[in-house]
Amino acid sequence: MSAGNGWAMSAWNRWVALLSRREAGTGLALFRIAIGLCVLGTIGTVVGHDLVGVLWVDRSHDGYRTLGAGPWLVALLGGPTPRVVWSLVVLTLAAGLAMVLGMGARLAALVALQGVLALTWLNPHAGGSYDDLLTNALWLLVLGDAGATLSLSCRLRTGRWTSDRTVPAWPRWLAVLQLILAYASTGMQKLSVYWVPGGDFSALYYILQQPSWQRTDMRWVADWFPLTQVATALTWAWEVSSPLVLLTFWARADPARGGRLRGLLLRLDYRRPFALVGLAMHLSTLVLMNVGPFSAITLSYYLCLWSPDELAALGRLRRPASAMPPRPAQPSPSGSTTHPGG
Amino acid sequence: MQRASWQDPTVQDELAAWDARLVHLGLHLDPAELEDRLWVLARGYTHVRNRVLAPLQPYYRILGTNQSWRMFVAPHRYPARLHISVEEGGSWREVYVARDPQLDWLGPQLDHDRFRSALFRYAWPSYGKAWSELCEWISRQAARDFPQARRVRLRFWKARTPSPQKARQGIEPPGRWVRARTLDLEPLRPAAAP
Repeated sequence: MSAGNGWAMSAWNRWVALLSRREAGTGLALFRIAIGLCVLGTIGTVVGHDLVGVLWVDRSHDGYRTLGAGPWLVALLGGPTPRVVWSLVVLTLAAGLAMVLGMGARLAALVALQGVLALTWLNPHAGGSYDDLLTNALWLLVLGDAGATLSLSCRLRTGRWTSDRTVPAWPRWLAVLQLILAYASTGMQKLSVYWVPGGDFSALYYILQQPSWQRTDMRWVADWFPLTQVATALTWAWEVSSPLVLLTFWARADPARGGRLRGLLLRLDYRRPFALVGLAMHLSTLVLMNVGPFSAITLSYYLCLWSPDELAALGRLRRPASAMPPRPAQPSPSGSTTHPGG
Repeated sequence: MQRASWQDPTVQDELAAWDARLVHLGLHLDPAELEDRLWVLARGYTHVRNRVLAPLQPYYRILGTNQSWRMFVAPHRYPARLHISVEEGGSWREVYVARDPQLDWLGPQLDHDRFRSALFRYAWPSYGKAWSELCEWISRQAARDFPQARRVRLRFWKARTPSPQKARQGIEPPGRWVRARTLDLEPLRPAAAP
């Protein structure tokens, strides 16, 4: 075997080992519950504001827009008529509820995904990036085993609401990758002179003045302009530097391998300042602006930033096992290895 | 991507600001030349991107894995605010002004985030058909809710956002009405009984 082939085999084996890692199902279960609530909220507010027939039903049935045949599922069902659209609304809400309860989690996520897709793509003018963030999360929940614990199916299977059954870790990692992709990509597209260094960092001040998104009159923010400048600079730097979180995951994937960079990343744990800034940003957005379920959906992804062990430790307010010096990985009942970090 | 949208004063302001910054860095370009070059660059990039991603489109479409994250990439310096008025007894009366809690006819619907998203788009020139259809839908609601009204008028007030200094001084920059539509309500009502 040539040296090149040997390196390729070694890399492949490491890749397979990485994807074979398993962990407790708590993190993915919490993500499932949060995203299920987001599905209920996203569709539920449209129902609550009496908008289903206005936004998602064709003009020929008293909707406001000509919607054509609609996305493939709507077209297959007969087009955007009240009966088809309301059936999809009810089905999607039922799927969202099933996700929260943890009944047939994968199937529920798939039904919710197709329902949200069909409804929101009926009228793309009346939607935003939060729809894409939601459907991406739902697809990850179809791929991952999110019903292993904290679910009705767990209760029916074991007689308890929680279970120690392990699940593959990679769907949670993909959720983190998705979060970072959204942040980094929007940060890199913020090329306005009002955002980038060298200008006066007035982007957030002016964004808060846009009637489309503000909750109420925001002229009072002029008195707090320096604070908005700091927030603008921080937001831009935070979004552009968000891929640093992935480096933290890289370091935590194999903490025993050592090295100065890995050691530094393990000590710093960039996830904490990253999550603190993100939380402050999204809560401010929630209070000052109306951008729909964007903050709720995005913050749901934050649950995937920590391993189930770390989440449990956070819940108990004590130092997580993964923050201790690295220990050799323990074999799991399935034969693959569990891993405490990242 | 539409060249007409680049004529919006918000986009023109951005181009002028970048032109000034490039001049400061020693790169002297006429603003029109900068715009032309950026347009060619943006079109080329979009064309290549679309070609590369074309095979993946079915995956995005069927599984909802679209990756488009243009979120607040630039503030809209000339935002638009929707005003709706009805004509009653020969004079116009405002019944809805976006974000005005006193004038909130249809507020529960028009203030929902999904309608905000649509209305943000409809102040731009490239959404003419959808804007006309929305105006017709709103006129049907007005014919029902304002039985004495003869006409309904919908338009956006487009004005430059005041700088913090001007906002503190209470100075409102001048603006103009855009995308104005006036619709008769009488034809939308059932014929009066004999």
